[in-house]
Amino acid sequence: MASDIQNYANQRIVEVLASKLRRRQVVGSRNAAIETTLVLRQVVSKARFSNIDQLVDIIRSVGRRLVEAQPKEHTVGNTVRKVLHHIREEYHTAVEGTAAATKKEDFSISRFVSQGQPRKQNIPVPKSEERTTTLRENDPDDPDSFAKGLKPVLMEAIQDVLDELETVYDNVSKNARDHIHSDEIVLTIGHSKTVEAFLKSAAHYRNYTVIVAESSPSYSGHEMARSLSSSNISTFLVPDSSIYALMSRVNKVILGAHAILANGGMFALTGSLLAASAAHAHSTPVVVCAGQFKLTPLWNLYHEYGALDFSDPSSVLGFEEGDLVDKVDVINPYFDYVRPELVDVYITNDGDHPPSSVYRLIKESYDDDDHEL
Amino acid sequence: MAVPLVSVPEFGLRSTHSQAISVSATIEEEPSASQEFNVFQVYQRILENEEIATPLAAILALTELLDHSRAGTMFELVKELNGGAEVLKTRTSNSISLNAGCELFIAFVTLFPHESDSFSELKTELVKQGQQYAKEALTYRHKIAELALGFIKDDSVILTHSYSRVVIQALLLAHKQKRISVYVTEARPRGFGVKTYEILTAAGIPCAMVLDSAVAYVMDTVDFVLVGSEAVVESGGLINAVGSNQMAIIAKAANKPFYALAESYKFHRLFPLSQYDLPTHHPDILSFPKPAHRSSPALTARPSVHPSIAGHVSTATEELPTWKSGLLVKSPFQMSMTPEQISRNPSVDYTRPDLISLVFSDVGILTPEGVSQYLVGMFAG
Repeated sequence: MASDIQNYANQRIVEVLASKLRRRQVVGSRNAAIETTLVLRQVVSKARFSNIDQLVDIIRSVGRRLVEAQPKEHTVGNTVRKVLHHIREEYHTAVEGTAAATKKEDFSISRFVSQGQPRKQNIPVPKSEERTTTLRENDPDDPDSFAKGLKPVLMEAIQDVLDELETVYDNVSKNARDHIHSDEIVLTIGHSKTVEAFLKSAAHYRNYTVIVAESSPSYSGHEMARSLSSSNISTFLVPDSSIYALMSRVNKVILGAHAILANGGMFALTGSLLAASAAHAHSTPVVVCAGQFKLTPLWNLYHEYGALDFSDPSSVLGFEEGDLVDKVDVINPYFDYVRPELVDVYITNDGDHPPSSVYRLIKESYDDDDHEL
Repeated sequence: MAVPLVSVPEFGLRSTHSQAISVSATIEEEPSASQEFNVFQVYQRILENEEIATPLAAILALTELLDHSRAGTMFELVKELNGGAEVLKTRTSNSISLNAGCELFIAFVTLFPHESDSFSELKTELVKQGQQYAKEALTYRHKIAELALGFIKDDSVILTHSYSRVVIQALLLAHKQKRISVYVTEARPRGFGVKTYEILTAAGIPCAMVLDSAVAYVMDTVDFVLVGSEAVVESGGLINAVGSNQMAIIAKAANKPFYALAESYKFHRLFPLSQYDLPTHHPDILSFPKPAHRSSPALTARPSVHPSIAGHVSTATEELPTWKSGLLVKSPFQMSMTPEQISRNPSVDYTRPDLISLVFSDVGILTPEGVSQYLVGMFAG
């Protein structure tokens, strides 16, 4: 099949990214998302397909390869799903002008349940853009015409996704000053770039204090404290054990997330569950800053023990303590699963949402068929 | 050619369906009486098929009603459908899930985008849609079972309530790939839990029956609770056989997940604020007897000592053994409520959405808040 041959050519780009992911050379969920988008852009630009299903299959197979390389990096799968969603949307807008009749035939009761009432078909005025070229799928004379007609639009769509990823930090911190008030004491843990951008943006307008928990054993809190204090925010660096003790003085807890699950819960840096539970006990609001590319349409990831993504145990108990290492099982989980009840609001680049409406965001950003790549 | 009793509509179509109607011979009689008879009988006939749930049977019955209808306009058609639905509702004791099916179908019929030129074509199309949906709906249970599979871990201990075909399918599917053990409650007074127990044991799943009153006792050893549903309401709550609310409250207290399995045709537009808001609730339920009747023997709390008195013999087949001076002695009777007392107890209850962890449906896995999204999409806007 033509697509197989094409896939072969694309394999190289995909392989490179897959091995980078496997070796964890891509650090950070946003970087993984950006790299994935770039690879997908290459794939789509070089792909040859004569109908939309072939294109979807190509992208899906690429996505599957990348997700298998690093299953804990959920943003890879999310980006693939997002690209697929945009592609389908563009395809439908392009096709709508030409063949409107096909829609009505497949309205059935099951559709009615899952999609609601039939929307009024407004076919009247096709946009004055170049929709005059009709897209013919599976054209035997010119198999590439479909691809050629659709590609420019697809490239635009993928560029949109890339732009959204690149402006995540700016969009999340847009309303930072509305969330933090003067003389507030904010608690955060570890080093999340999104939270860092958020806090720095608020610092332009408000005078407040940040308490950073050092989050051992990675001690990423040190980086965060250094960076914040260099922007003239008064910062306190504290050990993790004092999170609960200080919680009565804290006005807000601001955390970053690694992935947001479909039930409204999230995977976050280890220590977040501790901070969120302490905040819950003191009725302190927990605010999570994350880009929308972290929304994952998966449900039961937290059931698997391995979902916590363990990292190097020697930073907890090194080999220097030789006889102890023999007798003890040391684990160093990298992530915590935080239940949806513990989070009050997610601040994303597309607005603020409570955990209970995460399911709706997922419905809008991804297509149902793509949940399993 | 039979002459239709209903006047020919303005656009002059002859309803050719009248020829196909088997009740053409009874056209002399009141059409409403024959239709009424038809609908409920048809409904019961469809229900004889074990696989079909009540809302589906209602949809199929209404489809047949549509098939036999001689309405000439959309308005008359919808009126007939509403009439048929009313009949079904009044003749069934527990009409909540039936209601859900009827409303879904009538809403679909009303909103169906029709550009067909003739009304009879539209009717045939609708009938076809109804039957197609019923066929598709039979695959929903399998879909839901597959979704639930991801949440069932190896060596899980599952607690379930009464008899639910969806739950049984889910458990049988899980049994093929994982090791599970199941606790089933008896679900008095109808005792449907026994049915579940028999089916699961026959399939080789280790299963144990639990008294309804022992749910709290067993909850700590359970991994999660899985129940079916009669209806899922707009608030995200669940209507199911009585005892489910109890189970949900205990599960919450013990911090165990409570999952509900429901096909999409069970989504209902009710919004009960308490148990007493349910349409199945009537003032007789759990009411205290009037003082004048207190002396009546029919309401005595316990049957008399002699098991030979007719009307008070318990329906239980086992006898409770009792310890008597160190020896196990089987007592000659077991006490239970009289049928009259049982009839004063509710048969379904309402579980609040905050007690439910997730609802598994053929449209996907939903949080309780997500259910109303589908309902609003169908019935509002």
